[in-house]
Amino acid sequence: MGLLISAASIAILVTIGIVLSMVFETVHFFRIYDWTNFFFGSTWSPNFRGDSELAILPLLWGTLYISAVALLVAVPVGLFAAVYLAEFAGPRVRATAKPLLELLAGIPTIVYGLFALITVGPGLVQLFGEGGFFGVSWMAGASSVLTAGLVMGIMLIPFVSSLSDDIINAVPQSLRDGSLGLGATRSETIRQVVLPAALPGIVGAILLAASRAIGETMIVVMGAGAVAKISGNPFEAMTTITTRIVSQLTGDSDFTSPETLVAFALGISLFVLTLGLNLVALAVVRKYREQYE
Amino acid sequence: MTPRSRSLFAADPQIQSRKRADARFRLYGLAAILASLALLAVLLGTVIGNGLGAFQQSYLTLEVELLESKLDKTGNRDIEEIKKVTTFGYDPLLTAAAERLIETHNIQTDLRAKDIAKLLSKSAVSDLRDFVVADPSQIGSTVSFDFLVNARVDGYLKGRVTRESIADDKMISAEQLDAVDQLVAAGALVKRFNLDFILGSDASDQRPESAGIGTAMLGSLAMMLVVLVLTLPVGVAASIYLEEFAPKNRLTDLIEVNISNLAAVPSIVFGILGLAVFINILHLPMSAPLVGGLVLSLMTLPTIIISSRAAMKSVPPSIRDAALGVGASRMQAVFHHVLPLAAPGILTGTIIGLAQALGETAPLLLIGMVGFIASTAPETMGDALLAPNTALPAQIFEWAKRADPAFYERAWGGIIVLLVFLVAMNAIAILLRRRFERRW
Amino acid sequence: MSASKISARGCNVFYGDTHAVKDVNVDIGSKSVTAFIGPSGCGKSTFLRSLNRMNDTIDSCRVEGTITLDGENIYDPRVDPVTLRARVGMVFQKPNPFPKSIFDNVAYGPKIHGMAKSKSDLRDIVENALRRAAIWDEVKDRLDAPGTGLSGGQQQRLCIARAIATHPEVLLMDEPCSALDPIATFQIEELIDDLAKNISVVIVTHSMQQAARVSQKTAFFHLGELVEFGDTDDIFTNPSDPRTESYITGRIG
Ligand SMILES: Nc1ncnc2c1ncn2[C@@H]1O[C@H](COP(=O)(O)OP(=O)(O)OP(=O)(O)O)[C@@H](O)[C@H]1O
Ligand SMILES: [Mg+2]
Repeated sequence: MGLLISAASIAILVTIGIVLSMVFETVHFFRIYDWTNFFFGSTWSPNFRGDSELAILPLLWGTLYISAVALLVAVPVGLFAAVYLAEFAGPRVRATAKPLLELLAGIPTIVYGLFALITVGPGLVQLFGEGGFFGVSWMAGASSVLTAGLVMGIMLIPFVSSLSDDIINAVPQSLRDGSLGLGATRSETIRQVVLPAALPGIVGAILLAASRAIGETMIVVMGAGAVAKISGNPFEAMTTITTRIVSQLTGDSDFTSPETLVAFALGISLFVLTLGLNLVALAVVRKYREQYE
Repeated sequence: MTPRSRSLFAADPQIQSRKRADARFRLYGLAAILASLALLAVLLGTVIGNGLGAFQQSYLTLEVELLESKLDKTGNRDIEEIKKVTTFGYDPLLTAAAERLIETHNIQTDLRAKDIAKLLSKSAVSDLRDFVVADPSQIGSTVSFDFLVNARVDGYLKGRVTRESIADDKMISAEQLDAVDQLVAAGALVKRFNLDFILGSDASDQRPESAGIGTAMLGSLAMMLVVLVLTLPVGVAASIYLEEFAPKNRLTDLIEVNISNLAAVPSIVFGILGLAVFINILHLPMSAPLVGGLVLSLMTLPTIIISSRAAMKSVPPSIRDAALGVGASRMQAVFHHVLPLAAPGILTGTIIGLAQALGETAPLLLIGMVGFIASTAPETMGDALLAPNTALPAQIFEWAKRADPAFYERAWGGIIVLLVFLVAMNAIAILLRRRFERRW
Repeated sequence: MSASKISARGCNVFYGDTHAVKDVNVDIGSKSVTAFIGPSGCGKSTFLRSLNRMNDTIDSCRVEGTITLDGENIYDPRVDPVTLRARVGMVFQKPNPFPKSIFDNVAYGPKIHGMAKSKSDLRDIVENALRRAAIWDEVKDRLDAPGTGLSGGQQQRLCIARAIATHPEVLLMDEPCSALDPIATFQIEELIDDLAKNISVVIVTHSMQQAARVSQKTAFFHLGELVEFGDTDDIFTNPSDPRTESYITGRIG
């Protein structure tokens, strides 16, 4: 029995391990680097001369911008796909489309990363780059917010659609009957009754998707670029928290220099950010489920 | 009150426009589904279109005279002596063989034999040397040997490299391609199935043509073993406790919330944990599959706990009651009755968890499984766990980083291998579920 | 008695292979109340739902025969169920208010059918419907509160208000009082009486007393068949079929 209990407690140990492993090094980091500069500075430029500027804001901006593009792709497509599957599709369409979407969800992110690096990035350059299809030269390189955002959006479509599908299916049939019985069309029923009823659950699903997007690493490492800047131009390369964690911790890391230790501060920021989103999302979804139980 | 005695058949414009809105809405839904499926098709098409080439490789057949005067000056076939001849010593043999090639096939070219020999992979000399060292008795004879050609020539045969694309290329010239055309026509240069890609090891960035993914597969296999050995017992034990014994209190609540949150923590964070705990504190070796396996275990555990609990939950309480009714203890009821019935579900969840772990890349970057050339396969179990190695997705990323179309091809090829594993694992999981699906 | 509003001829309903309603012929009068009674699973709800084509929403369900509304076949391919359901409304067994405000619940039908020309028009329609459903006094001060926050009986009256706000010519009610206490039941029965002055009401009920109290005509179903149909008084005092008699005296059930 003791064995069983300790096995169950491992989950807590892991969480504690995660937090502690990052907290120690983060404390260490803030001893040698001013925390106000980390949180409120506006420049990210690590170097080996000892005057690195290590501010999280430009990275956070890139992260949020790319995630927003991804959600802009994934939420409408995923939601409409879920609505179609749950409300319109016959059993046969459902039985084929659902597993195929799940297949999309089971593809590892390295595949999406390679797709961004080799296919989508250069493809976008051919459209928007110098001498490209549209005759504009908006894109200088293949890495950009758009490249990473689009591909991440594709990755998130099945995530959004399967969560929303579950949620839409949890809306009781009696509500649909009530609306149809009044002479509403299917789309009126969906837009005015089903979706509003499912709204909290869908918001939860979108928050979970956002948390995924923020924590995603491979797609941005391979598609977003390494330039830390705050800009509104989606055709420019920008960088994210996760890519900087990777770049600061790979290669020859010196665990006494702020340039390496900053990765832990970034890691804990990422952890807190995604944890917060997850907690809110799970609470929202749980509350929503209870409403219809 | 509006009098409404109009006919059911009357086409009411208001209804018509509502029906059109309905049809439009439906169309958006259909478009979303079709778009997702089209994206899936494009993705898989890209993978297969770009990656299949990696499973084929071009070879040039040369008649090599293994001159005793070059390879074994003393002539007593002393293996130690023979080993002293470096790859430089083999270069002239290849040039001579190229000379003979030009003559036998009557190749029309202004190039010297040395330039024809440059069509070969940089690994050609060492392959030849390995051959001789393995069997010194061949020295003195002339052997027919299939050499890898370099990535440019290989790319030319696969259509990746064209005469236009090599305009500024220092590695290959148009004259060389002319010779290649003739060699292909003569049947000396052929493209065929390349088992070495599947079984071989990575090669330096000068030799994409001889890079293989076999060693990375061994790395992944070792990690999966670690994950399986660690997560299955722990995951099942944790689910048994939570599902069958746990009292409803703050601690179990905390554990539950923890598990569902851990399942959503970004994978890179687990990489940081691995680096900080396993490497910096416990001083386990960098790049070791054991460390990779440990990190992936922590990531996979929540998945396995969640699915095992679902499997145990689906065993009806009547089974437990029946076991308890005939005098079994609760432990016995669980281990003799509930667990066997939940086993297929637990196994399915485990396979799916392993499949996820197999494709995970980000945490491996931080524990050093990328950025070096995993050129030798581990020989012992200890090596497989502790010697630096890479893993399937890490190897793919490593190739993608080398920014060379020949390596891109290998990266896509690696993805095909990875996807074949994932499809196989998921298929097994689905079959298991079908086979043991029970309705209570 | 006035002319029939709905008539069914040779109506059969199937769920896949299950033959749920067998060869039913029935005429439902206008401006009157018709009750459907019968043991559980005998096909009352199924038949009721085929009167406004709610069965269209169930994939496996198939309806044969003809059902006419004012002489027009409602299963004619030219008929849009949306048009039909605007004229033949429905109230369900379990109250199912939308997760919207009380006002929006009632305004839902009039809005989608474009019945209100202005905001004040809409307010009038809503108030009128809530008054007729005998719930106005209880909710007039909290029209913006969510409809799901009402008590069960109030919710059911809200659903009735929602159904009558679109001015249907026929109102189908499937066990509308089964979730309600006696007082709420009484209020709804009064409401049905009142409604029947203008429209026809069809009510499915398991309560013989309720059928006797509210309806003019009663149909008794058994195992998918319509066993007996006639004036309520006759059915309850002098049933012609032994199965009807057993049921109303409590021997089948
Ligand atoms: N959606 C469905 N799919 C398949 N069969 C159904 C469905 N709905 C009802 N049935 C079957 O059709 C028959 C008639 O059901 P119906 O709901 O019409 O009975 P009912 O008279 O309304 O019963 P109750 O008084 O319990 O409400 C039953 O045998 C039932 O099992
Ligand atoms: Mg019923």
